[in-house]
Amino acid sequence: MSRIQSLNPAWLLVAPLLALVAVMFAGPLLNILWLSFTDPEPGIANYVALVEKTSLQKLLWTTLRVCLITTVLSVALGYSIAYAMANVAEASRQRMMLFILISFWISVLVRTFSWIMLLGRNGLLNNGLIEAGLISQPIPFVRNELGVLIGMVHYMIPYAVLPILAAMQGIDGRVLQASRNLGASPAQTFWRVYLPLTKPGIIAGALLVFILSLGFYITPAIMGGGKVLMVAEYISVQILVTLKWGTAAMLAVLMLASVLGLLYVLSRFMKLSAALGGGRT
Amino acid sequence: MQDKQFMRETVTEAAHAFRAGRLDRRSFLALCGMAGVAIPSVLAGKAEAAAGEIVMWNWGGQSEECHGSAIGVPFTAETGIPLKFDTSGPLQGKIKEMVDSGNVTADVCDADLFDAVALGATGHLEPIDYAVVSKDKTLPGYALEFGTSIILYGYAFMYDTQAYPDGAPANWADFFDLEKFPGQRSLYKWANGSLEAALMADGVAKDALYPLDLDRALAKITAIKDSTIYWGSGSEAHDMIVNGEVSMGMVWQNRGRNIEQETNGRYKMVMDGAIAMPGAYIVPKGNPGGREAVMKFIAVSQSVDAQLGLFSCLGMTPTNAEAIAMISAEDAPYAITSEANMAVIALNDPTWWGQNTDAAVNAFLEAIS
Repeated sequence: MSRIQSLNPAWLLVAPLLALVAVMFAGPLLNILWLSFTDPEPGIANYVALVEKTSLQKLLWTTLRVCLITTVLSVALGYSIAYAMANVAEASRQRMMLFILISFWISVLVRTFSWIMLLGRNGLLNNGLIEAGLISQPIPFVRNELGVLIGMVHYMIPYAVLPILAAMQGIDGRVLQASRNLGASPAQTFWRVYLPLTKPGIIAGALLVFILSLGFYITPAIMGGGKVLMVAEYISVQILVTLKWGTAAMLAVLMLASVLGLLYVLSRFMKLSAALGGGRT
Repeated sequence: MQDKQFMRETVTEAAHAFRAGRLDRRSFLALCGMAGVAIPSVLAGKAEAAAGEIVMWNWGGQSEECHGSAIGVPFTAETGIPLKFDTSGPLQGKIKEMVDSGNVTADVCDADLFDAVALGATGHLEPIDYAVVSKDKTLPGYALEFGTSIILYGYAFMYDTQAYPDGAPANWADFFDLEKFPGQRSLYKWANGSLEAALMADGVAKDALYPLDLDRALAKITAIKDSTIYWGSGSEAHDMIVNGEVSMGMVWQNRGRNIEQETNGRYKMVMDGAIAMPGAYIVPKGNPGGREAVMKFIAVSQSVDAQLGLFSCLGMTPTNAEAIAMISAEDAPYAITSEANMAVIALNDPTWWGQNTDAAVNAFLEAIS
């Protein structure tokens, strides 16, 4: 009874929009699901291929590995940046935020080609190191998995910084003072008070980075030199070139299910709304 | 569904009226706008096309300008039908999707002849009308039921003259020989050309390539994998060479001349074993401009002037023997099917590729990743 009474009439206003989204979004999604069971012929053959085909397993393992490493590195680096930002004067923080945002806004293609120019065999860094006599052969920074990771981590750091920074700024400084006052060392205060308090930010950042990484296409395609094949590019090839739409749909369903599954597992351990920025009191 | 059909018919009718002068421009656009409430751009595109034009679906960039000047101008002069472009790149999957959805907005696709084999077999293309299009104005074997080759491009390789001062690589066997010619290589990422090159390097004769022995080709390719990077677009292939990322790199042959000029001859192209690819004009089933107009368009693109225009503008080699004969001695080395090159190049088999693209591309991707 009380639930119905507390239902905000504003819901009625957004209801048509919600219905529209449900139809326009759920419709095509169901179509993909349908395709994964019907193309080229009805059955679960597309899903059986996941078990039988080592090529698909290799593809998924590459994707998972790259995404996990990207997430760990982005969150670790993002945490340090956010920590610095949370603890400097306001003017410096704004300057740092500007740099984060500028990097956030640069197109992924521009970044990718810039990295190739900087780190390529004939790039600025390799030429500089050779000139300085530090190396005799260029180091293969790009056109391999390392290149993909450099490109992806660079792209993802702002996504890690922003939620972590928000969590850090929400911490009451007096809690840390209390911890020190009660005899904890600076390290203990960090590990046992500060870090747990920033956990929602870390999880939000990690989720965001990991989910976005799963769909990465341009960076692996170019920085990987064709040798780091990830799911998004593979799906695109199956749709556009080889016309294996069933395989593509199956992989798309798998990706979506993994993301939803991930969110579900996390929701068992923590309040997701806290991590995703809503429901804060 | 019914509504859609009705709206489309209304707008198509209106387009005819507009063209015939029975409807003024403003009313026509207003009608299009009203219909647009239901299904915006697709309908407008369809209606526009119905008003008497040919929409060419190509890959953008320079080709828009070149197709316009070489084919569009003579075609419009002859028929009064304007040529418009959709530059989003007619990949097989996109053509299939367009035809399956029932909203066909393109009349002619600048595609590959193997696309004609693959999509023709599944009922996604209009057959070529050989009463209008000439079978004699293309290479033997390249006038197929669902597509005819208008131009040729190809896969050749270029090498860095400074990397190999003591003797230049001369063929694919040298390209795959890391001991004799150390250095980085680049190959095309989606298997085409790369597989043929590997087989020729392994000793297969250029006219005995098909059916491709995938295992043999992939063994050769994986043997140099650690020193190879792979490109997916022409500009990427170009950059890999001029930025010094590779000492030998596969390129689309029609771009090789630009690279030679741009680098003052530092990078040179090798035509021995280059694989000639028949580019074809294919027509999605139910094209809005009508079958008659689009066949006429294809016929115009076979003419000597149009073919020479495409050669000078895009570097794409003519398929019409008469046009090939008119290429100057200076240009001949860069025309993949010129008399001198014909003796050393391999010709792609569109039928094999049309039937085996999925297996070949996926096996290739698995091998290189």
